[in-house]
Amino acid sequence: MSDPMSAPILRFDGVSRDFSAQNGFFGRKRTMRAVDGVTLDIPRGKVTGVVGESGCGKSTLARLALHLLKPSIGHVYFEGNDLAGLKPAALRRQRRHMQMVFQDPYSSINPRFSIRDAVMEPFQVHGIRHTPAEGKERAARLLEMAGLDPQLAEHYPHQLSGGQKQRVGIARALALEPNLIVLDEPTASLDVSIQAQIIALLADLKSRLGLTYLFISHDLGLVRYFCDRIVVMYLGAAVEILPSTDAPHRHPYTRTLMESAFLPDPERRRAVTRLTGEIPSAFERPPGCAFATRCSFASGRCYAEKPVLLTTGRHAVACHHPLD
Amino acid sequence: MSLLAVDDLSVSIGMVPLLDRVSFSLDRGEVLGLVGESGSGKSLTAMTLMGLLPLIGGRITAGRVRFDGIDLTTLPEPAYRDLRGQRIALISQNPMTSLDPILTVGAQIDQASRLHAGLSAAAARARSLDLMHQLRIPEAVAIHGQYPHQLSGGMKQRIVIAMALAGDPDLIIADEPTTALDVTIQAQIIQILCDLVAERGLALLLITHDMGVVAQACHRVSVLYAGRGAETGPVHDIFARPRHPYTKALIGCIPREGQAPGTLVGIPGMVPTAFAYPKGCRYHPRCTAAAPDCRTEVPAGSIQGVGGSIVFCHHPLEVGHV
Amino acid sequence: MAALTALRSAIASPRGAPSAAILALAVTAAIAAPWLAPYPYAAQNLAGAVMEPSAAHLLGTDEFGRDLLSRIIYGARVSLGVAVTSISLSVMIGLVLGAVAGYLGGWVDRVLMAVADVTWSFPEILIALVLIAILGPGLSSAGIAITIGYLAQFARLTRSQIIALKRETYVEAAVSIGSGHMHVLARHLIPNALTPVIVAGMLAVGDAIILEATLGFFGLGAQPPLPSWGALMSSGVAQIYLAPWVILFPGLAIAVTVIAINLFGDALIDALAIRNRLKER
Repeated sequence: MSDPMSAPILRFDGVSRDFSAQNGFFGRKRTMRAVDGVTLDIPRGKVTGVVGESGCGKSTLARLALHLLKPSIGHVYFEGNDLAGLKPAALRRQRRHMQMVFQDPYSSINPRFSIRDAVMEPFQVHGIRHTPAEGKERAARLLEMAGLDPQLAEHYPHQLSGGQKQRVGIARALALEPNLIVLDEPTASLDVSIQAQIIALLADLKSRLGLTYLFISHDLGLVRYFCDRIVVMYLGAAVEILPSTDAPHRHPYTRTLMESAFLPDPERRRAVTRLTGEIPSAFERPPGCAFATRCSFASGRCYAEKPVLLTTGRHAVACHHPLD
Repeated sequence: MSLLAVDDLSVSIGMVPLLDRVSFSLDRGEVLGLVGESGSGKSLTAMTLMGLLPLIGGRITAGRVRFDGIDLTTLPEPAYRDLRGQRIALISQNPMTSLDPILTVGAQIDQASRLHAGLSAAAARARSLDLMHQLRIPEAVAIHGQYPHQLSGGMKQRIVIAMALAGDPDLIIADEPTTALDVTIQAQIIQILCDLVAERGLALLLITHDMGVVAQACHRVSVLYAGRGAETGPVHDIFARPRHPYTKALIGCIPREGQAPGTLVGIPGMVPTAFAYPKGCRYHPRCTAAAPDCRTEVPAGSIQGVGGSIVFCHHPLEVGHV
Repeated sequence: MAALTALRSAIASPRGAPSAAILALAVTAAIAAPWLAPYPYAAQNLAGAVMEPSAAHLLGTDEFGRDLLSRIIYGARVSLGVAVTSISLSVMIGLVLGAVAGYLGGWVDRVLMAVADVTWSFPEILIALVLIAILGPGLSSAGIAITIGYLAQFARLTRSQIIALKRETYVEAAVSIGSGHMHVLARHLIPNALTPVIVAGMLAVGDAIILEATLGFFGLGAQPPLPSWGALMSSGVAQIYLAPWVILFPGLAIAVTVIAINLFGDALIDALAIRNRLKER
């Protein structure tokens, strides 16, 4: 921790987040644990990928990272500061340094805002004033950075395609020159051709501006291409942390994910391992391993005892019977 | 003769021409992938084949669609109604919109059986349970009595497939059947569909934007771009030797295992809208190999290679140029 | 911009065009009453009392010989003025209360909405009668009664809009760049919630005209000699057999204006395509 450049930019320390739902007015209050005891360092200047299926808590983790949601248990430290300990004004100032790009470009821009308004809003919020000419110039430069024609500044969101809107989202995130950007499935609702464009843009911006990314995705193929490190989540918990994209996976769930990814190569068709069993409900978590019901290696121990995330070297896995 | 033969199909909505001379064919026991980005005309093709164009104010302006010897372009609506569901079934992208929230899923599969095969209530139920077993739905009896909201997305899509199968169709049109689902579930559903084609001798038209799905599931591929055919051919041939620059670019959009950082670039620009189709080859503004004739002349289809791929390009890529 | 386009297409629609014309006439009458009215509204002429419509008095005269047309034109000023002013106030207060309740949620929301539900469960006229019993009859009492009577409706509608909008990604995006509550409310939530509330307010003006007329009819609103449409009708009751026009013409003024407001509001709802959002309260 002595060298500030080697210290992680973001740290999750035993973070859990519960949501409660009530069945009707007099109904029983039920609690769902969306994120369950995640401890994770996000190294500076790297792309950390978080991959998992819907309901695995990856989007909740993204929001916990930026304190858009408060942790129920545990702490999130950004640049060493516990975000929950900050006063509202201090937290708002801190948000300059950590930004987010959202999944749905169609609803992430206020329909009443022109593209210029949307890109300039971060400055307005932080009381950074521009003369009209400066503002115009600044917006144009941000749009250019995101690969957009500066002429689009006068347009409204409904006049733009999904890919263009996502570029606006990126321009907005860059406005305040942040250190960390959380990318919450930024390409999930785009065509593959546009997805590849956006990923190329993000890679270029990262190397030019020295950004750190937390990249949330359901697409393991994409995560393996784009990220330096991969966190695999299942039912709210990190089950495996791969230190590099070519590290051999050790958790049976990661293997299932790998096998499910469709390669663009008809010569290498895979027989899909049949998954039996349903994903357990996050309202009633099993006492043992959450993946046991679908795992072909599951033993009695897996149903009874919850595996903890054990780190060997830089590789971490939470499994009683890890693969070799 | 093919089960389904689409020849030079052109479709307009109002005054706007959206499909321009699209051709492909599909046999029993075959999976044909219809691929392209949004705006390529994939879903419009599905609507045309289902005879649903009038619903969106569209009409066929030229070309023929023959299904098992029947000319679908001139088929009157009552006869089409008999065909839909019974011989041609549609599986749509969002299972939520295909299921009635106030009926149990079992009742909905039963209903499809009774409507199409004229079965008694008991026989329909037995048949539904049989179909659910075939689709590897665990605890079929329990699920038969549940409502859509009680089921996961993957389970709902399996119910929709069971409903499609209840009419014992010859042709299934699946429009992005797994786009809304998780990857592990997507793999299962695609596997189920492919097994059905092999076991029952169905024909499957698989509409998707994902070249990965095509590579894993299809026998043949037809690539559409901006309402026109780009390239049609056997899947192995298309992936090993794509001859249309668009096909090659589309395949290149999916990261491969061990792909070097910075090598995934996508396709510059975007699909033009129907109001602003460029002259000549519609792909030329995005094409890295565009020549002067691409800007003026519409490319005609030419047969390339031993696989018999048909390519609509003035300057098809050389074989081995992968 | 979208609102302007919708307004234009509502005015051009088959239902909207005639109703817009009638409303324009009523508003012009209200604003330009001193120039349009042929006689002062309080000018009595007992010799010419209760006269049939004639060239000199197009709509006839009342029991004090006052020109009915002039009184109806001035009455537009009173009736429309009270209705529009009190509904505008009601919309503004309702907007703030509803936005605060919807945005903050929790106990603030529960308390505000409990109060709104209680006031909503009484007819507006009852609330008005209670308030007038406390404040005494008069135009301002009627106005306050209308403002309070319709408050719950606008607060509830705003609240439901705000709650729906809070889930939009652009609101979360605004918070993520460091926006405070005021910025989120003023820039993102209220502007997007405004349209249905304003349309509901416009429709409520019709109801408010009727409520004011009812109070006026019972002598609880505008006090003589100030003419409001309700008060004019009230004075016509005594001569209903002898001089039916004295009650008929103010009654027609009310009916035509209210129908025009409802038709125009309907056309506007269709042009804005917000019918579903209005049901959300």
